Amino acid sequence: MSTTRENILIRLQKIDRRWIYLVLWLVVMIPLLFPFKIQPQPSPTVEKLFNYIDTMPENKALAISVDFTPDTRAELQPMVVALMRHAFAQKRRVGLLAISVYGLGLAEEAIQQVTTEFNTYARTHEDSVIYGEDFVFWGWTTPVLTVMLGMGERITNVFPVDYYGNRTESLPIMRYIKNYDDIGILVTIAASAIPRSWINYAQVQFGVNLSCGITAVSAADFYPYVNSGQFIGMLAGMKGAAEYEQLVAQRMKKNGMDWALRNRGTEAMSSQTAAHLAIMAFIVIGNIAFFATRRRRK
Amino acid sequence: MNLSTDPWVWIAAILTLAIFSFLYKENPFYRFAEHLYVGIANGYAITFYWHRILVPSLFDRVGSAQTPVSTKIWLIAIAIIGALYFTRFIPKISWLIRIPIAIVLGYASGTSIPRAIDAEIIRQAKATIVTRASFANWQTGLWALVILFGVITTISYFFFSTERKGVLKPVSYVGIIFIMIGFGASFGYTVMARLSLFIGRLQFLLGDWLGLIK
Repeated sequence: MSTTRENILIRLQKIDRRWIYLVLWLVVMIPLLFPFKIQPQPSPTVEKLFNYIDTMPENKALAISVDFTPDTRAELQPMVVALMRHAFAQKRRVGLLAISVYGLGLAEEAIQQVTTEFNTYARTHEDSVIYGEDFVFWGWTTPVLTVMLGMGERITNVFPVDYYGNRTESLPIMRYIKNYDDIGILVTIAASAIPRSWINYAQVQFGVNLSCGITAVSAADFYPYVNSGQFIGMLAGMKGAAEYEQLVAQRMKKNGMDWALRNRGTEAMSSQTAAHLAIMAFIVIGNIAFFATRRRRK
Repeated sequence: MNLSTDPWVWIAAILTLAIFSFLYKENPFYRFAEHLYVGIANGYAITFYWHRILVPSLFDRVGSAQTPVSTKIWLIAIAIIGALYFTRFIPKISWLIRIPIAIVLGYASGTSIPRAIDAEIIRQAKATIVTRASFANWQTGLWALVILFGVITTISYFFFSTERKGVLKPVSYVGIIFIMIGFGASFGYTVMARLSLFIGRLQFLLGDWLGLIK
């Protein structure tokens, strides 16, 4: 009996990693097809950012810097969508830019999605979101330093032409967004160390309020900046996106916008919970097998 | 089941499956998808740099009659310095690459060092100072003390100028515990991040491609 148990423990340690992949496929896939209800509870860092944007003065704009690439789209795109929904629901102007060339398509995708949502439900001209009046997509330029420092002087100098080829000077919204002074908060959505550059250049030099949405893998690196107040809140990974989606959904409901919108971050939470439980089980089983066989070997 | 009729969704789905096939073992489908990704990503970036930067900021301005001659000279000089990056492909004059690298390094260091000292050292050090305001409630007070204690003990672990004995020994040992907790948090977040990316791909395969997610 004990030999059989020992064999099982030894085999557990030598299990082909492909079986683990298969189990994870199933654990992630099944909750996506048959989701169980998970209501993400907003963490203090997410609430802080939400409250700041929610109560931002009306004449201040929200700037979103799409600083990620398609490989991290799953985690970060829901943040861009949720931030845009929040700003439009609160009638705040929005300006988007991309520090990475690869962020352009992602920003454009988010713009198309959110403007379609709002304009589909809009009953009046006031309810709709219009390019050049309510939001602007400045696009991309290089180098990074020129963008971050130049925006503090005059945004139209950094981006003389927007993503769609319009002269930015000719857009009505640019009368209200001249430089960082007109931006209530700039949120950088990134999968790299770019948020640190925003602090070093834009904040140190011009004092602009900053926040960030980052991949979970780099969350631990950015907590010190939230603690020091250099970032006003933070969205960490898909969980952070899901929490923000919940807060925005509640806000939109309060504002009479009880629309059936897809929240990709929230949708993923049941899969993520199931997968985390599976990985915790793997770690526990692996450790039990390791220590049990080591004791027997001694 | 509501299969997508968009050919681009099908291409993306097939390429996703080709990449996932690596989980079973290395194979030609995976290698094809990997090379395609790298090629397209580079081609996309080069196209943007050409059309959005080089053409409007250099070629159009140098070719325009409205641009002053002095500006044209500056632009051409800077373009020549930039082009020196390509000398690395010609061994005899490859040393010339040092010129643009030196300019970029000098510029970047000059602009970033004073700002980094402010943002990364002074403000971070300030955030560890415990003041009366830190004790607005017991929770914030407790965390302020934990942060202060964690910073001091962790820095003491990296203090290599003297042998670790006396007070330094237990203090640096506590520093190791803080470092390990940090690694644990990072690992947990890394697992979450990788799973999120996998979930994102499955949302695409099951939702956008197969139409199984309602």
